[in-house]
Amino acid sequence: MLDSSTASRHVFQEDWPPDELEDLLARVVRPGRYVGGEFNLRRKPGIRPRIVLSYPDAYEVGISNPGLQILYELVNDRTPAAAERAYCPLPDMADLMRARGVRLWSLESAEPVAACDLWGFTLPHELACTNVLEMLDLAGVPLHAAERGEGDPIVMGGGPAVADPWPLAAFFDAFFIGEVEGRMAAIVEALGAQTRAERLANLAAVPGVWLPHAAQAGPVERQVFTDFACTPPVERPLVPLVEAVHDRVVIEVMRGCTAGCRFCQAGIWYRPVRERPVDMVVAAAERALAATGYDEVSLVSLSSCDYSGIDEAVRRIRALRPGIRVSLPSLRIDSAATSLAGLAAEQRGSVTLAPEAATQELRERLNKRVDEAQFDEAVRAVFSGGFTGLKLYFMIGLPGESDDDVVGIAAMAAAAARRAKEIARGRARLSVSVSSYVPKPHTPFELEPFAGEATLRRRQALLREAMPRHVRLSLHHLESSLVEATLARGGPGADRLVEDAWRRGARFDSWTEHFDEAAWRGAAAAAGLALGDPAGEGAPWGETGSMAPWHAIVDARVTPAFLEEERRRAAERATTADCRDGVCVSCGVCGAGVEMEVLA
Amino acid sequence: MRTWLVSFARRGPARYLSHLDTLRAVQRTFARAGVELELSQGMRPKPRLSLPLPLPVGAAADDELALARVTDAAPSARDGLLALQAASPGGLDVIALRESPLRARPQPLRARYACEVRGDAGAVAAAVGAFEEGEPPRVVRRGPKGTKTVDLRRSAGAVSCRATPGGAHLEFEVRYDAGTAARPQEVIEVIADKAGIEPVLHRLRRVEVVFAEAARAQHAPTQRSATT
Repeated sequence: MLDSSTASRHVFQEDWPPDELEDLLARVVRPGRYVGGEFNLRRKPGIRPRIVLSYPDAYEVGISNPGLQILYELVNDRTPAAAERAYCPLPDMADLMRARGVRLWSLESAEPVAACDLWGFTLPHELACTNVLEMLDLAGVPLHAAERGEGDPIVMGGGPAVADPWPLAAFFDAFFIGEVEGRMAAIVEALGAQTRAERLANLAAVPGVWLPHAAQAGPVERQVFTDFACTPPVERPLVPLVEAVHDRVVIEVMRGCTAGCRFCQAGIWYRPVRERPVDMVVAAAERALAATGYDEVSLVSLSSCDYSGIDEAVRRIRALRPGIRVSLPSLRIDSAATSLAGLAAEQRGSVTLAPEAATQELRERLNKRVDEAQFDEAVRAVFSGGFTGLKLYFMIGLPGESDDDVVGIAAMAAAAARRAKEIARGRARLSVSVSSYVPKPHTPFELEPFAGEATLRRRQALLREAMPRHVRLSLHHLESSLVEATLARGGPGADRLVEDAWRRGARFDSWTEHFDEAAWRGAAAAAGLALGDPAGEGAPWGETGSMAPWHAIVDARVTPAFLEEERRRAAERATTADCRDGVCVSCGVCGAGVEMEVLA
Repeated sequence: MRTWLVSFARRGPARYLSHLDTLRAVQRTFARAGVELELSQGMRPKPRLSLPLPLPVGAAADDELALARVTDAAPSARDGLLALQAASPGGLDVIALRESPLRARPQPLRARYACEVRGDAGAVAAAVGAFEEGEPPRVVRRGPKGTKTVDLRRSAGAVSCRATPGGAHLEFEVRYDAGTAARPQEVIEVIADKAGIEPVLHRLRRVEVVFAEAARAQHAPTQRSATT
């Protein structure tokens, strides 16, 4: 028997956690989500500035977010600051915390979040807004930035939802617009000042920072991380000990997408395309696998099949670690992509394709350059390649959509089902997932009207009726889409609606089991809105012709002329080429040191 | 193929893992340490790793056992121990490792648990007496296959109680060779019900596990206090 007396790792004593936390943990479901302890956890006790990073959702969701993993590694390993984390407690824990007066703590130190210097939120989507208020309240931090004082942390928001920060403007001291990696050192340095006012003033000087409660001239330009291609991806990520939504190594191979889908906000928000070298991707995968113990690598981006080195990267990773699964999160609709998926994960049972719309006319409006022959070829490739499951993803409520387009989804599914039966016999499973389209800021469809509750409800019923019985149909929760539509294009004053809904009990709005429809309908009615209408003073922007309020704050780097031209082309069913193919579409993003970087 | 018996402690955040979470964490520790586990046969091969006696969520333990089948490429026991120690997460502390000729999973005979409860210590002491000598304490378990009544006294006993500030310290034994075994939470719930206190376990800890005679000889050295 060999013993060790030279443990160099953190050793927990019997009195951990402190009694007040232990008492809570003994009474809640899945207490493991509140204690941290992950593989690759960093502890930097006593270090200032102390930054707490939060994802406003449950631990299992937040720990799976690659953005927070990037920031955690960046702050802890490449700046003098300490990064800790906090996620949103579920209602059972939140109730207990309030009843016993226990404040939200960070997972690394079990110290109160409220005592940190900077509290940074990754804001993924509109349905996380009320969770931000829930976390501020549980931490004992004043909800309104205007009420915070010297002892309170600076609360900063970033992530894709800051494309329109108005629905959360009252609750944040600062927002960071765009990709923060290149500015993190400056943010940490800004926190070194003596007073809160000085720290905020320093932050205001960092490119990309918007202070909603200070006079700041002009819109803030979205920041692009221009060193992306020469910076390795996260190689020592946190590995949760409790089961998470995603449990695998994530290697970001590429940032940005120029496919030009007109509904897609991410396609605008992460421009231009930047690709990491294959050698860097393979080396990072190898190191991350060793550091995590995972047996799966996901090569992620907005469209991984478009990554120039995808074939080589998949082959080399599989050759390096033969037992490892390599997965791709999204596939292009063509046979080459499905063959690649087969190579990536020989044992994978199902694959997802996203035609988005069922008819050629509507796909052309969206700039989805896929025809029915290509779709049929992809379906053939899926089932011939050994996959036994196919999931098709569509949206309803798209601009220019008719009932025929919606019924066309069922027809497309039926055609795929016939092909599946022909090739895979009885083994094939086909499912169709349909969400409701919500127009987003900074896209060519930003001023298009939202389809509305009555239309979406009717079209969901049409789909249910038309869909073949043996195809599994999954429809997105309609009421959540209404809230999303109300907040996605919110203007000044939209934050009052969010606060009212939270005070009425709304939280975890993206969880069907926690969604509180009455709270949202009540808050909307009190604001004189129907759920689904944009919130805020002066809405709706498209009808009044006024400048949309998000453009007053955020310069997403695409020109208004480009958005207008794309909207016009959509109405004419004219497609626009991918600028990767050599034709510049003059979107306005490139220039002044920001360029597309694709592998030779 | 070789068999390793790995002794480890579960403390801190790792206390709050379920059995499957703990198993997965130990498995990842092996992967991070570069120690390859043998895989089972069949359509969906699984690593051959087992934790013979699941720990309740929230329970700490000083000396737990994992049985791992490692490939012939695995390092020596000494190097394996160091690698596992370096690779494990904080709170899951690898204490000792030995190669073993064991093929079958060791069968637990009995385990001893300790915990704190809040409330009147005198009432708890009286409830302990009633647990050991009064009407047989029974609990009803409901599951997908129906309900089952379990007589806790058949498998749980040797309960001791001493007063602490604000409550009582309890220790009790659960036997695993007497049919359906009591769960620590069930024992506490019955005692708390009789004492009129809240049935919440604080600082639950598995103090000791004793395995069946044949196995005990093989891994007796692991059944002692942690040294880390």
